[in-house]
Amino acid sequence: MMTASLINTLSAPLAMAPESQGPAAHLEHLVSHVGTGPGWVLLIPFLPLLGCALCGIYAFTGVKSKLPAWTTVGLLAIAFIATLSMFMGYDGEPYTVQAFEWFNLHYGERSFIANFSFFIDKLTILWMLFVTGLATLIALYASEYMAHDQGMGYCRFFAAFNLFVFSMACLVMGDNLIMLYLGWEGVGLCSYLLIGYFYKKPDAVAAAKKAFIVNRIGDLGLALGIYLTFVHFGTVQYAELFSSDKLHGYISAAAVGDFSMIPSQAQWIALLMMIGAFGKSAQFPLYVWLPDAMEGPTPVSALIHAATMVTAGVYLIARMYPVFLVSEHALPTVAWIGTITAVLAATIGMAQFDIKRIMAYSTVSQLGYMFAGLGLLTTTGAAFHVLTHAFFKALLFLACGAVMHGFAGQLDLRKLSGVAWMKGWGIVGVTMLVGCMNLAGLPYITSGFYSKDMILAEAFITPGYAVIGWILVATAILTAYYTFRVYFRVFVGPQHAEPGDEYHEELAEERVKAEHEEEDHGHHHFHPHAPGWAINAVLIVLAVASMLAIALAYIDKAEHYGWVGSMVAESTASFHSPYAAEAHHAHVDHVAPHAVAGPVGTAAPGTVFGMDAHNAMILISGIGAIVGVLIAAFLHGPKGWQGLFLGNRERADTTRMDAVARRAGPLPRWAENKWFVDEFYHAVLVTPLRVISHIFHWIDKLLIDGLVNIFGFLPRVFAWIIRPSQSGVLQGYAVSMAGGLAVILFVVLVFVVRAGGGA
Amino acid sequence: MMETLSALTGLMAPAQLAFPEEVAGSVLAPYLLVSASMFVIGLIGFLTRKNMIIMFLCTELMFQAAGLALIAFGRHHLGADGQTFVIFVLCVAAAEAAMALALVVLLFRHRETLGASAWKELNG
Amino acid sequence: MEQIIDPIALYLICGLGAAGIALALPRRTPNGGRGLVITGAIVLAFAFGLAALLMGLRANDNGNPQPNFFFYPFALIALGSAIRVITHKRPVYSALYFIMTIIASCGLYLLLSAEFLAFALVIIYAGAILITYLFVIMLATQAPTGEDDSMLGEVDAESREPILASVIGFVLVGLLTAAMFSGVGRLPEPVMTQARAQDGVLAYLPGKADKVLARNGLLDGGWRVARDPETGMAVIDPDERISRIELIEGEDAHGEPLIVATRTLGPEDWPEELRANNLDRLGYNLLNDHPMMIEVAGIILLMAMLGATVLARKHVELEEDLKATQARRLGTMFPEDPHGVTESGGAS
Repeated sequence: MMTASLINTLSAPLAMAPESQGPAAHLEHLVSHVGTGPGWVLLIPFLPLLGCALCGIYAFTGVKSKLPAWTTVGLLAIAFIATLSMFMGYDGEPYTVQAFEWFNLHYGERSFIANFSFFIDKLTILWMLFVTGLATLIALYASEYMAHDQGMGYCRFFAAFNLFVFSMACLVMGDNLIMLYLGWEGVGLCSYLLIGYFYKKPDAVAAAKKAFIVNRIGDLGLALGIYLTFVHFGTVQYAELFSSDKLHGYISAAAVGDFSMIPSQAQWIALLMMIGAFGKSAQFPLYVWLPDAMEGPTPVSALIHAATMVTAGVYLIARMYPVFLVSEHALPTVAWIGTITAVLAATIGMAQFDIKRIMAYSTVSQLGYMFAGLGLLTTTGAAFHVLTHAFFKALLFLACGAVMHGFAGQLDLRKLSGVAWMKGWGIVGVTMLVGCMNLAGLPYITSGFYSKDMILAEAFITPGYAVIGWILVATAILTAYYTFRVYFRVFVGPQHAEPGDEYHEELAEERVKAEHEEEDHGHHHFHPHAPGWAINAVLIVLAVASMLAIALAYIDKAEHYGWVGSMVAESTASFHSPYAAEAHHAHVDHVAPHAVAGPVGTAAPGTVFGMDAHNAMILISGIGAIVGVLIAAFLHGPKGWQGLFLGNRERADTTRMDAVARRAGPLPRWAENKWFVDEFYHAVLVTPLRVISHIFHWIDKLLIDGLVNIFGFLPRVFAWIIRPSQSGVLQGYAVSMAGGLAVILFVVLVFVVRAGGGA
Repeated sequence: MMETLSALTGLMAPAQLAFPEEVAGSVLAPYLLVSASMFVIGLIGFLTRKNMIIMFLCTELMFQAAGLALIAFGRHHLGADGQTFVIFVLCVAAAEAAMALALVVLLFRHRETLGASAWKELNG
Repeated sequence: MEQIIDPIALYLICGLGAAGIALALPRRTPNGGRGLVITGAIVLAFAFGLAALLMGLRANDNGNPQPNFFFYPFALIALGSAIRVITHKRPVYSALYFIMTIIASCGLYLLLSAEFLAFALVIIYAGAILITYLFVIMLATQAPTGEDDSMLGEVDAESREPILASVIGFVLVGLLTAAMFSGVGRLPEPVMTQARAQDGVLAYLPGKADKVLARNGLLDGGWRVARDPETGMAVIDPDERISRIELIEGEDAHGEPLIVATRTLGPEDWPEELRANNLDRLGYNLLNDHPMMIEVAGIILLMAMLGATVLARKHVELEEDLKATQARRLGTMFPEDPHGVTESGGAS
C-alpha cells in the first residue's frame, strides 16, 4: 500500500519530537485554560442573522431600493470591526462565549452537551477575519452588481447572503461539532439557494441541485464522523475533546509511529470527516459541483465558491488536526487527493473558454494545493494559502464578474479582447492583472507565491513526498499558463466585444432593455457599460490587500514562518513537520543541513538539491510561473508589447493555440470536456442508479404497492360482496332480520337445547 | 277412523264449552302456536308487500301476535303482568301508528307513491 | 311443555301454509290471479284444518287439557283475516280485515280471561288506530274505483319475492314451535292457587271489601273491614274465606281512627260477590308494580303526538332542488303571473 508506506515516513518525524514538548503536551497546554469571553463576540454571528431577518422583512414590504444592500454592508462591516477588535483583544488564551443552551442531555454516566456557543482561538479569528472582511467587500460589490434585480430578487439575494455569513460564522466559531455541522449545512443551504438564484434558468437549477446532492455525500461522511467522535470520545465539544486523555494517548502513540495502539474507530473519524471536507471543498472525486456552481451570481461565486465556503473543508481538517494525526491513512490520503485534484483541475482549466469556469477550476486546483499542504503537515502553509487565495481569487472573480456584468453576460474568452483598453475598464484591467499574477505565483512580488511556496517546500523536504512536490510544481506552470491565457486574450490586444445574449438582458431593467433594442435596430454596435464606483472600489481594495498580504509572510517569520503561522501556532491546528522546523532552524542558524544532496525524491530531510527548501522554491516555482506566463504569451498573447513581444494574435479568436491544438490530437478536446468526468459519473453512478431506481420503482409499484393494494383491495372485495345487503330496500333488511332470527333459533335448538337436553 | 271420530267427539265435549274461568290447567301451547303463526304472517306481509301502509299494518299484526303471546303467558302464570304489558304494547302501537302514518303522508307528498323502494337512496 | 302436535305434521302444515300464502300473495296475472288466490285459500284451509285435527287427536291421545272449543273458530278467523290482510290487493280491505283479526284476537283474549284488554283492544285498535289507517289510506292512495284490479298501481298489485318470504316465514314458525316443543319454554307450573292469584289482590283493596260487605248487609253502621295498622291492608284471607271487621268511633290523639270493637267473619259469611275481577288485578298491577312504565308510556305518546304534528304539517321543508322543481312546474303552469311562482311555491 502506497499510503501505508508513506504514513510511516510521515509518522517517523513525529517520533523525533522531544517527549517533553510532544504534540500531546502542546495540545494539553492549548486547551487547558478555556475561559469565558466577552459577550459582544456574539455580534459577529448574529448581526448577519439580523440582516437576514431585515432583508426578509424588506422582501415582504416590497422594498425596491438598495436598502437591503446597505443594510447588509453596514451590518457586515460592524461584524468585521467586531472581529478585528476580537483579534486585537485576544490575549493568547482561547475562550468560549455562550449564546444559549442548546443540547444538554444526560443519560446514565454519559452526557451529550452541545451549546449554542462559540469557541474563539486564533484559528477562528484568522478565518473570521477574512470571512467577514471579504463578505463586507463583496456585499458592497453586489449592491451594484445585482442592481438589475432590484425589487425582484434583490432582498432574497441579500437575505441568503447574510444567512450564509451567519452559517459560516457558526461553522468557524462554533465550540462543538454540532455547531460546526449546523454551519456546514447552513452554508450548503445558502450555496444551494444562491446557485439557484436565477431559478428560471434550468442550468442554474440543475447546478444548484448538483451542488446540493454532491455535498450530501460529503455531509454524510461528516455526520458519521461527528457521530463516531461522540461514540468514541463521549463529547463533541472541542475543549473537552482536545483535552481528553484518550486523544492525548493516541497522539503520543502516533508520535512514535505506533498506530496499532489506536483503535480503528478513532482512526475512522478522520477518514469520515475527510470525506466531508472533500465534498465541501470540492476535492476529487467530489469536485464536480463547483464549476457548475458558477451559474450563480458572480458575487456568490467570489464569496462562497472561491473565498470562504469552499475553505470550510480546510478549516475542518485544521480544526480537527489532532484527530487527523491519530489516523494512519487520513493525512496521506488528503495530500494525494489534494495533489490529484490540483493537477486535474488545472488541466481542465487550461482548455475551458468560459472565463468564470476557468476561475472555478483554478479554485478547485488551488484548494487541491491547500489539501496537499494539510496532508503534508503544514497547516500554516494551507492556512496562508487559504488567506491569500481568498483575496486574489475573490478579486479575479469580481473582475470577471465586472466583465460579465458589463458585456451582458458574455464569458467566452474567444469573443472578448482588449477589455482593459476600453473606456472605464482600466481599473478592472489593472486589478485583474494583479489577481492573475497572484494566482500564477510570480516570485517575490505576489502573496500567492509565498503561500504556494510554503506548501511546495514542505512537499520537497518531506521524505517520499517529493513526487507531490514535482506534480505541484508542474501544476504551478499550468496555473500560470491558464491564468494568463485569460488575461492575454480578454484584457489586452485589439479591442473586440460581442455581447452575451442570455438571461442577463431579460432580467435587466426596462431602460437597459430599451437601450439594447435601440442598438440592435441601429448600427449593430455594442456599448458595454463600465463598472461603477462600488465595483471599482472593491476591486482596488482587494488588489491592494492581495499585494499587502506579502507582508504577512515576513511578519513573525523567524519563529512561526509568517503571521499566519503565528495565528495557527496558537490553535489546535498547530502542528507542523519537524522536518520543516529542522530545516528552518538550519537555515536561520546558518548551520549546514546534516544531509547531503541526493537524487530527487531521495533528498535528505530539509533540503532540495542541497539548498534550503524555501530558497529552492523561489527558483523552481518562480521559474515555473514565469515559464507558464511566457507560454501563455506565446500561444495567446497579442502582437506587440502587450503580448511581451511573443504573441502574434491580431484578432479576438485566432491564436497560435489553434494550430497547437490541432496537432495535439484529441487531448485539448478531452480537456475541454473536463476529461469526461461528468460523463463518467453519469455512466458509472447516475445511470446505474437510475436503472436501479427504475427497477426498485417497479418493485415498489408492483410488489409493495401491490401488497398494500391487496390489503386495501380485500376489504373492498368483501364490501363489494356484502354491499348489496345495504340496498336501501326496507324489506331486504327485514329479510336479514328474519333469516338471522331463524339461524339463531336453529343454532340454539341444535347446539344448546339438544346438547343441554342430552346432558 | 274410530280415533278420528272420538277426537271429534272429544272436541265437542261439553266441559269444554264452559267459559274460561272454569278451564283447569294450562292450555298455553295452542295460543302460542296461533301467536307464532300470526307473527309470521305479519312478517311475510312486511317482507312481500310494497305498499308502506300495508307494511305498517303488518307490523300491527306482529304487535298483535306479541300481545296474544303475552296474554297467554300471563294466563299461564295467573298474573296480571302480561296484561299490563299488553297495555304498553298498545301504547307503543298507537304511538307508532301516529308517527308512521304521518311519515307515510309526508313521504307520499314527496314522491307521489307509497312504494318503500322509492326511498332506496336513503341507504347511505 | 307437552307436544300438542306431531312435529313432522307441524312441518308439513308449515310447508302447506307457506305454499298457500305464496300462492295467495298478490301478483299481476292476466285474470287477476283469482285462481291462484282460491288455490292458496284451499291449501291454507286444508292446512288449518289438518292442524286443528291433529291437535285434537294428540290431545285426545295423551289426555292433555284441551283449549276451549271457541279457541278454534277465533283462531281460524284471526289467522284467516291476517292472511287476507297481507294478500288483499286493496289497502282498504286489508285494513278492514285487520279489524277482523283484532276482533277475533279479542275472542282469544276473552278465552284467556283478559276481558278488560279484549274490550280495550276493540276500542283502541279497531276504533282508533285502524280508523287512522283508513284515513291515511284514503288520503294517500289514488286507488281506482271499480272492480278492475288491473288499474291498481304496482305498489299494491305486486308483491316482492313471495316464495322466499313465505319460506323464510314458515321456517321461522317451524323453528319457533320446535323450540317451544323441545322445551326452550319449559315453564314452571303456577306457584299459587288460582284463588290466591285471583283474589290475593283483595287485601290491597279494603275499600272494595267495605263496599261489597256493606252491600250484603254484613256491616252495620260504623263498622268496616279491619285494616292492618302497619300496612293499611285489609285483614282478609281469600283462601280460607275469612275476614275481620272492626268498629270505629272518632279519632284518637294522633288523628288515627279509634277502634272500639272487632269481629271475625267466617267462610259462611263470605259473600260470593267478594272477588277481585280482572280489572282490579290489572289496575292494581299497573299502578303498584309498574308506575314508572306509565310515565314512560306517557312520554312516548306525547312524543308521538308532537312528532306526528311536526311531520304532517302543511308546510314541509322540502329539499332545495325539489322546491326548485316545483317552482318551475308551477311557473310553467302560470306563466303570465309574475308572482305565481313564489305564491304557489309558498302555498304548496
